Amino acid sequence: MDMKLPPLGEGADSGTVVNVFVKAGDTITKDQPVLELENEKAVATIPANAAGTVAAVFVKAGDKIKVGQRILSLADAASTGAPAAPSAPATRPGRERLIQTPSPEQAPAPEADPGEPHTERRAGMPPMAAPSIRKLARDLGIDLDRVAGSARGGRVLLEDVREYIQKLQRLAAVRRPAGGEPAPKPAEQVDFSKWGPVSRKPLSPLREVIVRRMVESWNTTPRVTQFDKADITAVTALRKKYAPAYEQRGARLTLTSFALKVVVDTLRKHPIFNASLDEAAREVVLKEYYHIGIAVDTEAGLIVPVLRDADKKNLLELSRELEDLAGKARERKLSAEQLHGGTFTISNQGGIGGAHFTPIVNKPEVAILGLGRGAMEAVVREKRIEPRLLLPIGLSYDHRVIDGGAAARFTVDLVQAFENFREEDMKL
Amino acid sequence: MDPIKTEIVVVGAGPGGYAAAFYAADLGKRVTLVERDERLGGVCLNCGCIPSKALLHASHAITSTRESVQRGIVFGQPQLDLAKLRSWKESILTRLSGGIVQLAKLRGVQVIQGRGYFEDSRALRVETEQGQRFVQYDHAIIAVGSKPALPRDFDLGNPRVMTSTEALELEDIPENLLVIGGGYIGMELGTVYATFGSKVVLVEALDSILAGADPDLARPIVAYARKAFKEMRLKTRVSKMSTSGKQIRVVSETDGQKHEELYDRVLVSVGRAPNAEDLGLENTKVSFDERGFIHVNEKQQTTDPAIYAIGDIVGGVLLAHKATKEGRIAVEVIAGEKSAFVDVTIPAVVFTDPEIAWCGLTEAEARAKGLEVHVSKFPWSASGRALTFDRPEGLTKLIIEPDTERILGVGIVGQGAGELLAEGLLAVEMGATARDLALVVHPHPTMSETLMEAAEAYYGHATHTMVRKKAD
Repeated sequence: MDMKLPPLGEGADSGTVVNVFVKAGDTITKDQPVLELENEKAVATIPANAAGTVAAVFVKAGDKIKVGQRILSLADAASTGAPAAPSAPATRPGRERLIQTPSPEQAPAPEADPGEPHTERRAGMPPMAAPSIRKLARDLGIDLDRVAGSARGGRVLLEDVREYIQKLQRLAAVRRPAGGEPAPKPAEQVDFSKWGPVSRKPLSPLREVIVRRMVESWNTTPRVTQFDKADITAVTALRKKYAPAYEQRGARLTLTSFALKVVVDTLRKHPIFNASLDEAAREVVLKEYYHIGIAVDTEAGLIVPVLRDADKKNLLELSRELEDLAGKARERKLSAEQLHGGTFTISNQGGIGGAHFTPIVNKPEVAILGLGRGAMEAVVREKRIEPRLLLPIGLSYDHRVIDGGAAARFTVDLVQAFENFREEDMKL
Repeated sequence: MDPIKTEIVVVGAGPGGYAAAFYAADLGKRVTLVERDERLGGVCLNCGCIPSKALLHASHAITSTRESVQRGIVFGQPQLDLAKLRSWKESILTRLSGGIVQLAKLRGVQVIQGRGYFEDSRALRVETEQGQRFVQYDHAIIAVGSKPALPRDFDLGNPRVMTSTEALELEDIPENLLVIGGGYIGMELGTVYATFGSKVVLVEALDSILAGADPDLARPIVAYARKAFKEMRLKTRVSKMSTSGKQIRVVSETDGQKHEELYDRVLVSVGRAPNAEDLGLENTKVSFDERGFIHVNEKQQTTDPAIYAIGDIVGGVLLAHKATKEGRIAVEVIAGEKSAFVDVTIPAVVFTDPEIAWCGLTEAEARAKGLEVHVSKFPWSASGRALTFDRPEGLTKLIIEPDTERILGVGIVGQGAGELLAEGLLAVEMGATARDLALVVHPHPTMSETLMEAAEAYYGHATHTMVRKKAD
């Protein structure tokens, strides 16, 4: 039996093979990863759909493959899942393309003009129209199957074609303002080698996504960053005290683990920070779940895995899962599901260094917390100067949804949550 | 001599080639037309459609005088002056090919007589009587056509074994003629010779004649042939032919039964083969199928970007009007138009007695494709006009798509069916419905009424025939 690339979800239909983990002759088990696929959304491993011996592998690293494309064939497959899916029903390729990638040159997809009758013509029959009308349609690039014929039996007349063209023009006119301004001119190409040797490398699919999403966020989100510092002297002491015990349980206790807990507690008090703006519906969507994105710095670039239901997990579980997700992100083994559905993001640069920074809101979330490196500072407490460990925090938020006062209150609560971290929350 | 520089060179001046050359010239292109024969017009004009129709017309006079006996008009025995018949036929061909030369001249199409040979994808060498000429072109259209197939076992080098080309020369009227192949060529020429007095035996390897035509349309022709021919043997294979004095000895087998017979002449009409050899196409990127037909796409483009091909040489139905249409498409594509051989209805006419003509979908095709169609028929026995010329055996039928009532195909058998088809063809190409045809007032008394009445029959109210309602 053949194993084909299964549906990837989230509208993705293709990807680039990064790694193939199996070769002909290998015996594999069901759900064992067989390859790693990178697309603009994620790098994900594709599991085997059945157990068996690999007879042949049809893809290699660097190949761009599509959903439904054959990946490998299994000899003596002990299929435990559904039988090999029958090949997808043949659809008219032209039409499919029309639906998937509407471009200005093409006639609008059927959904654009719902009033349009779209009769599926019987195979082998020419469109019901005079030869002169068919020639006209061919010259104009019009698919006569989309034109409603007004004559007897649905025969297409010249005025039907004329009306169809006018309808297309009206649709185009309506769509233009909605489509926004014309695409910005691409930046002028600069010949950098004029000034010295350079090397060039193509943008990876991941980098393409980062480029697109950052620009999108920058262009659409009026962003403000609220700064503060949290005294983490006590938290750090707790971390040192409990680290060995956590270690024994297989979990590394980091400041990010504490941040997760603190953030979820604060989000509960300020639900607007755990929301999204539904621009089409003109509504704010308040989420009753807390899935926290963690920005992970990897060799390939920034990846943000999502830790689900952070409010329902204790510090030990959070720590374990955090480490697992970060590891998978670095090895690029996250599933597509582990990359979606976040409600708030934490970006902790403390491990690297630096102080305050202004993170960019990870749309469609409305806020992101940036943590710098904690540093000892001289702090005046009860008129005495004390050395305290202070954590620079920067909270960026979407000012369309969140007002400055709300952000200030959130920050105050967040700082207090760090400073008043309860020891009982840590006990194992 | 300097090479001739031209925009389009057309190789072959048959109905595909000369039509393409003229159309290209009409669109303002510089055109060169290369023809290896002295006479322009190709197979159609010189040894196909036109001479066969001339001979069929001549033979109709005999048939019609014989039939008039029952109407009380008696003629004497016809006297056949073959030399005069031949020269009359030749005069038609000369006049037509001369007409093509004139039309070429008027359009400024340069005609070169000689065999064309492709030197490469942009140059054609022409072997003329005055020596070699080289033609450098931007685009070439290959329209070299086909020739009658003559299987090697039948090729005795004996002129008594004829293909359609020799049969149309009408050397003599053999007493005993064997026709091998019951396609339209065998049936048409068998009819000519039978009418002129030959005892015709027709053998066909398949179990029906005129494969491609619906059986109900072929039936009157079978009936005619059974009467006019000495014999018609289906499922029969000729296994051996040899010269035997002034005759041909033929061994054939019908259903396991062997025949060994002597014939004065044999007409081999078992199909046609492409004229693909000796064209130098190996010097281009043009590719062929295993039978020698050139591969083209729907724009008539070969696998060589500069070269197009049309007509019999690209296979499909080997008909003059198909070649002409393909020629127009090739020229339009070269001229940059969005033209393609898509959804083109190619009608077919067999000039037997009676004629069969059809276009669009046939009943057999509809069945093979699993299409749900309604077939509406009008028998000519119900037509007053058909009775006035004593031909009640005809039939007019429409293939109708039930949802839209659109006419998808028309089939006619009967005298003059070829002319009568034209209205049906227009209906099919225009996407007309049976209602359209039924609503048009047709002149009485003419055979065109049968189209209207066949359409009316679909709705259950043809005046001259009783049919059950379509919904039944």
